[in-house]
Amino acid sequence: MSSTPLPPAPGDVAVEPRRRGSRSGDVLMVVLAAMAVLHFVRPAVFSEPAVQAWSTVFVAVCLQALPFLVLGVLLSAAISTFVPASFFSRVLPRSPVAAVPVAGLAGAVLPGCECASVPVAGSLVRRGVTPAAALAFLLSAPAINPVVLVATAVAFPGEPQMVLARFVASVLVALVMGWLWVSFGRGDWLRVREGHVAAPGESRLESFRSAVQHDLLHAGGFLVVGGLTAATLNTVVPRAWLDAVADSPVLSVLVLAALAVVLAVCSEADAFVAASLVGFSPTARLVFLVVGPAVDVKLIALQAGTFGPRFAARFAPVTLVVAVLAAVGVGAVLL
Amino acid sequence: MDRMTQHAVLLLLGAYVLQVAITDAHLAYVQGGFRPFLLIAAAVLIAVALLGLLRAWRGRRAADPEAAHAHGAPRVAWLLVAPAAVLALVAPPALGSFTVARQTPPPELPGGVTATPIGPDDPGQEYRTLPLAGYQLRALSGDSSAFEGRRIRLTGFVSPREGGGWYVSRIAISCCAADAIGITVVVDGDRGDLAPDQWVEVIGTWSPPMSHPSGGWPEAVIAPESVRPIDRPADTYVG
Repeated sequence: MSSTPLPPAPGDVAVEPRRRGSRSGDVLMVVLAAMAVLHFVRPAVFSEPAVQAWSTVFVAVCLQALPFLVLGVLLSAAISTFVPASFFSRVLPRSPVAAVPVAGLAGAVLPGCECASVPVAGSLVRRGVTPAAALAFLLSAPAINPVVLVATAVAFPGEPQMVLARFVASVLVALVMGWLWVSFGRGDWLRVREGHVAAPGESRLESFRSAVQHDLLHAGGFLVVGGLTAATLNTVVPRAWLDAVADSPVLSVLVLAALAVVLAVCSEADAFVAASLVGFSPTARLVFLVVGPAVDVKLIALQAGTFGPRFAARFAPVTLVVAVLAAVGVGAVLL
Repeated sequence: MDRMTQHAVLLLLGAYVLQVAITDAHLAYVQGGFRPFLLIAAAVLIAVALLGLLRAWRGRRAADPEAAHAHGAPRVAWLLVAPAAVLALVAPPALGSFTVARQTPPPELPGGVTATPIGPDDPGQEYRTLPLAGYQLRALSGDSSAFEGRRIRLTGFVSPREGGGWYVSRIAISCCAADAIGITVVVDGDRGDLAPDQWVEVIGTWSPPMSHPSGGWPEAVIAPESVRPIDRPADTYVG
């Protein structure tokens, strides 16, 4: 990059964007060169057990979530590209209060985990779906789809009431949050980023490809934020404090809710983790199953990216409280 | 981040995911059955990047400035380089004794379980190979009759133990390495010069449970007759 301030030639408008373009390319080259150098230098810190364990968990969280994110991004791009906005205004009830349960139950058809539902919910809002309904879908899809329910049944053999309790409590959370948004939500908390805007003359396929690329880079970046957080908490916070509280009914509920938030396990696998927490009461384990798909560090990062930090800062804590209350209530009746 | 850099970042990430999925490297991070999904994800990443590069190349030939730098991606997209960089630089191995040392007591066992029989000796051998968790469950059940007069073979990696002996241990994952749980059995003997994380085969007999040195919960114990270093298996985790 030349530092000589040449006066721009008249009509030479292509210079400025081109120079900006080469700058990010330069950054990438520097990053790659640094990687190559470090690869050969191999600083001793890379073989520290703590660094290695952190790296394993970080890569594991990213790899585990990536296929679901890709699925969600493909679906979201398909909605943006191929489904006309009129479709949603036809199938969803006009009133937001009535649209919430329809969208909440529609979550049952998206066979993914929470990483897939965030981009899809984002594209629904962009497509003009009322935010309350999109949020109900966002919360219910990762928790009540058939894959997750079957996984729960497998993890808790002979305890079908756990599957039922999970379904009921998760739907309840989705409905309550959707209706809370109808009553108290403010549009300016939401900042849904403009998706890919089709250039004139662009083919449908290229429009789809560009939308996928845009969402992958965007949601993918926030997924990595979540992975960094989960790996750090996983490595730094000793798990031993968990067991000191397993006997107290109140503390055990709060601790498993906190564990669900920091562990950021995929909703398709969290039932197996819950099943391994044998020392805890069934209600506390239900709390873990209901909170995990609704609020965790990875999900908060993705929500902040898709709907804006002002939204995530309000939505996540309220969801956490509602999820804990719903799980405790349902657990008291069903478990 | 301009378009060409976006394509490059996606291609870089896709290439690393593909490499991890094709080789056994993914077994350090996720369950083996997850491989097809990683392959699909890598294929999508690479296809999106290559199609974008192809289009940019065509666009450049057609002297269409719009195609080369349409609109940027957010800064956060730079973080997508991080997983590739960590894979390239640290190449983190499967979790081992570091994770075991930070573990919690094993799940509490329902009391009063009668130990199920452990089955006949391995073909042509005078011992019975048991999974670590299976041995742990029976050894702590309070009914040791299944082990009377029997020799047991366990495999796992070495983890240090305070307060005498050492652990033969494995890591169980239900989804990915983020939910790892350590399974340990105390080997009541001298560790000698076995380094932590070395894989070993322990043949020995049942011995009464000991208390964890700081936590006090019961730990399954094996009294070793022979300890032999072995090669590390491709898939070190148990599902």
